[in-house]
Amino acid sequence: EELAVVGSWSSLPLHNQYEAPFWNETLPAASNGEITVALTTHNQMSLGLGDIYPLLGQGVYDVAMTVADYAVSDAPELEGLDVPLLALTADEARAMVDAARPMVSDIYRDRFNSHVLAIAPYPPQVVFCNHEIAGLDDLEGLKVRASGRMTAKLLEALGAEGVNVSFAEVPGALQNGVVDCAVTGAGSGYSAGWWEVSTHLLPLPLGGWDSVVTAMNLDRWNGLDSATQDLIQEQIITNFEDPAWASAQDALVNDVACLTGNGDCPAGEARSMVLVEATDADLARARDVLTGEVLPDWAERAGGDWAERWNASVGQVVGVTIE
Amino acid sequence: MERMMLMRLRRLNRSVALLVGLMLLLCAAVVLLDIILRQVGSSLGGTDEISGYAMAIATSWGMAYTLLELGHVRIDLLRTRAPAFGRAMFDLFSMVVMTGVVVLIAIKCWPVVARSWTQGSTANTPLETPLIWVQAPWFAGWLWFAGMSAVVTLLAASLIFRRDFEGSEEAIGAFAEQDTLQ
Amino acid sequence: MIGYVAVGLLGLLTLSIPVGIVLFLLGIGVDTFFSPFPLIRGLGNMVWSASNSATLIAIPFFVLLGEILVRSGIAARTYAALDRWVSWLPGGLVHANVATATMFSATSGSSVATAATVATVAMPQAEKLGYDPKLFSGAIAAGGTLGIMIPPSINLIVYGFLTQSSIPQLFLAGLIPGLGLAVAFMIITAIICSIRPELGGGRRTFPLGQMLRALIDLGPIIVLFALIVGSIYMGWATPTEAAAVGVAGALVIAAAFGGITRNMIVESVLGTVKITSMIMLIVIGASFLNFTLASAGLGRELESFLSGLGLTPLYTILVIVLLYIVLGFFIETLSLMVVTIPIIVPLVVELGYDPIWFGILMIVMIEMALITPPVGLNLYVVQGARKSGSLNEVMLGAIPYVLMMLAMAAALIAFPSIALWLPQVLG
Ligand code: NA
Ligand code: NA
Repeated sequence: EELAVVGSWSSLPLHNQYEAPFWNETLPAASNGEITVALTTHNQMSLGLGDIYPLLGQGVYDVAMTVADYAVSDAPELEGLDVPLLALTADEARAMVDAARPMVSDIYRDRFNSHVLAIAPYPPQVVFCNHEIAGLDDLEGLKVRASGRMTAKLLEALGAEGVNVSFAEVPGALQNGVVDCAVTGAGSGYSAGWWEVSTHLLPLPLGGWDSVVTAMNLDRWNGLDSATQDLIQEQIITNFEDPAWASAQDALVNDVACLTGNGDCPAGEARSMVLVEATDADLARARDVLTGEVLPDWAERAGGDWAERWNASVGQVVGVTIE
Repeated sequence: MERMMLMRLRRLNRSVALLVGLMLLLCAAVVLLDIILRQVGSSLGGTDEISGYAMAIATSWGMAYTLLELGHVRIDLLRTRAPAFGRAMFDLFSMVVMTGVVVLIAIKCWPVVARSWTQGSTANTPLETPLIWVQAPWFAGWLWFAGMSAVVTLLAASLIFRRDFEGSEEAIGAFAEQDTLQ
Repeated sequence: MIGYVAVGLLGLLTLSIPVGIVLFLLGIGVDTFFSPFPLIRGLGNMVWSASNSATLIAIPFFVLLGEILVRSGIAARTYAALDRWVSWLPGGLVHANVATATMFSATSGSSVATAATVATVAMPQAEKLGYDPKLFSGAIAAGGTLGIMIPPSINLIVYGFLTQSSIPQLFLAGLIPGLGLAVAFMIITAIICSIRPELGGGRRTFPLGQMLRALIDLGPIIVLFALIVGSIYMGWATPTEAAAVGVAGALVIAAAFGGITRNMIVESVLGTVKITSMIMLIVIGASFLNFTLASAGLGRELESFLSGLGLTPLYTILVIVLLYIVLGFFIETLSLMVVTIPIIVPLVVELGYDPIWFGILMIVMIEMALITPPVGLNLYVVQGARKSGSLNEVMLGAIPYVLMMLAMAAALIAFPSIALWLPQVLG
C-alpha cells in the first residue's frame, strides 16, 4: 500500500520530531515494508488552511493532519474540541481530547468523509504582550491579535479588542503598537523572535491547545483489510500520539523557561520576558465568561445536539456545563 | 458584424472593470478608515477578511476585461515571425486552449461553491461571513470569463474564416501589435 | 518531472498560449502523468485560496498608486528631475531610468508595478532622443526589479509570512542591498557606455539653477515614501495596509499638483484592473502548478538531490543559487518563492544561516528571474510599454544587469553583514 500523507507545518517540532519519523520510518518498518509512504506537508503544497480536510474527503490524498481549528468553517461543531482555558496542563488537555474523540470521529465522518486516526497537541497558545499586564483582567481595553474564532470571541467577551493581523506581521504590529498582545504557541513565539518585541508573557492557554487531527480518507480506510487497519491504528497511537502528548508538558515548561529565563532553556539562549501568573480569581472570571457567553454562543452556532453531547463528554471531564 | 459585437463586448467589460475598480477603491477606503479608527482606539474589525473577498471577486471579474484588452501575457517569439494567416492560427489556437482551460476552471470551482452552500460554511473568523455570499459572486466571475472567452473565440474564428486577419488580430492578437495599430 | 515541466513550459510558451494558462496546463499534465491521485479535484479550492488573499490586495493598491503617479504627471516630473541630476554620467538618460526606478521602488511593493511606471514615462524619451533601445529598456526592466528589494516589498511580506520571520527586519535588511544594486546598475551602465558611447546616447548637463529647481519635483515621491514606510514603522499600519495609505497619499499629492480629473481616475482604475487580473491569472496558475508539483513529490526530488550531494554549507548555498538561476528562467517571483521556501529555507537554517539574510539573497535571485527569458515578467511589462521593436532587444539589454545581480549575490554570501548590519543596529 502506498499512502500519500500530508503533514502539518513543516517547520514546527510536531512534524519534525513525531510526524516525519512515524510516517517515513516507524510505520513502513512495522508493516515489514507492506506500507510505503509519500510524505509532504500542507505548507509545502501551499494548500489553503481551510482546504486541507475537504480535499482529503475528496480523495486528493490519503492521509492529512492539521490543526482542527482550521476546519471549523465547514464544521462549527468542531470548535468544541479545543475550548480555550479549560485545560491548563497537558494531562488535562489529553483527558479533554479523549472525551471529545467520539464527537470528533463523527464530525470527520459526516463532514469530511474521513476516519480519525489520532489527535495530537501543538504547544498551548499563550499570550505575548508588549504592554504591562498583571493578569487576565488587564487585557481589558487592549488590542489583541487572536487566532481562531472561539479565542477571538472569548477575548471580546473579556473586554479586549480583537485585531486581525497575519502571523508574519505580528512582530511589527507588537513593536509599533498596532496590537498590544498576541496569542501563539510559546515555542513558535520563541523561535519567531516575538520576545524581541514583547515584554510580558501570560502562559495561559488562551488559544487552547490547537489539537492536530490525523485523518484518513474514509473510502481508502474502508478499502484496507482489517489487519492493516489495526496495524495503522495501533502504531499511530503508541508511536505518534502517545509520545507527542508525553513531551507536550515538558515542551511548555521549557518554552516558558526560554522566554522568561526562569529555568533551563534547552533550545538556545534564554530571554527575559516578565512571567505573569494568572490568579485563581482571573481563571474563575474567565470560566464565567466561557460558560455564560462564549460556549452558549458556540452551542447556537453548532446547532443540533452538540451542546448536550459536549456536556456529557468534555463537560464532564472539565467540570463545565453549557447553560 | 463580428467587429461590431466585439466592440460591444469590449464596452460591456469596460463597465464591469470600472465596477471592479470602484470596489477596490472602496476597499482601500475601508482599510484607511480602519487605520484612522485604530489611532483613536477603535476598530472596524475584519477589514483584512473583507479585503481577501474583494480581491477574489475583483480577480475573477477582471479577467474578461483583460482578455478583451489583450492584457494576458503571451510570448510571441515565434508568432511575430509568421505571416498574417499564421499569426491568426497562433491566436486562434491560443484562444481555443485558453477557453478550454477557463471552462475547466469554472467547472472545478463549482464544487467549492456547492460545498459552502450545502454545508452552510462560514468563515473561520469572528465575522462568521457565510462563504456562499462571497463565493457565489466569485464563481459568477469565472463563469463570465469562460463565457466571454468562448464567445470571443467564436467571433474571431468567424473573422478568420472570412479571411479578415486584421479584425482577428484586433480581437485576439498580441498586445504589442494592438498598440502599433493605433 | 523537472525535465517534463521545463520542456512542456518552453513548448507551450512558444505556441504563444498565455503564460497563466500554460501554468494550468502543466499542472494538469503533472497530475495526469506523475501523480496517482486525482489532484485536479483540488483545482477549484486552489483558485479560491490563491485569490482570496488579504496579502495580495497590496498588488492592485500598489499598481493603482503607480497609475495615479503616471497619469497625474508626477512620474514624468520625477523622471525629468532625476534626468537633470544623473544624465551627465556616461550613458545619459539610462541613469535616469535606474534612478527613477530606485525612487519608485521606495513607494512600490512590486517590481512589475515599478517597471511599468518607469517604462511609461521613460519610453517616449528614448524614441525622442534616439537611444539604443536595448540598454535603455534593459535598464528599466532591471531597475524595476528593485521594487521588491527596497522596502516596501510584497515579496518580503510573503517571505516573512512563510518563514515566520520579522517583516520590518526584512525591510531594513533589504535597504542597503537594494541601494547597492542601484549603484551597481549605474556603474555598469557608465562602464559600458564609456567603452561603447553609441549605446547610451548623449551625456546631458544642466545649469545648477535648473538642477536645484528640479529638486522640488522629487518632493512628492519622498513624501509618499515617508508616508508608506513611516506608517509601518510608526505603528499605524501593517505592511499590506500601508499600500492603501500609499493610494490615499498619491491621490492627495496628485490633487495638490492639480492633476486629478475624472478621466484620469477612470483610466487609472481600468489600468489597475487590467494589470491585476493579468498578474493574478499567473499567480493562480502557479499556485495550482505548485500544488501538483509538491503532491507529485518535487520537494522530495529536490531535497534528496541536495542532501545526496553531501556538500559543505558554502557549497550548498552555491548549489542553491545555481538552482534559483535555472528555476528562475521558467518560474516567476511569487510562485518561485512559494515553491521553494518550504523546501530550501529549513535546509539553509539547519546549515546555520540567518533566515533574514537568506531572504535577501533569495530576493536577489528572484529579481534576476524577473528579467531572464523565457519567463520574465518585467521583460514583458517593458515590452508592453514600447511601441515597436522585439522582445529580444529588452532581453539582451538586461544581461549586464543580470551580471550585477550575480555580483550582489556573491557579495551577500561573502559579506552577510551587507544585509544584516542595518537590522542589527536599528532592530
Ligand atoms: Na519597494
Ligand atoms: Na525568468
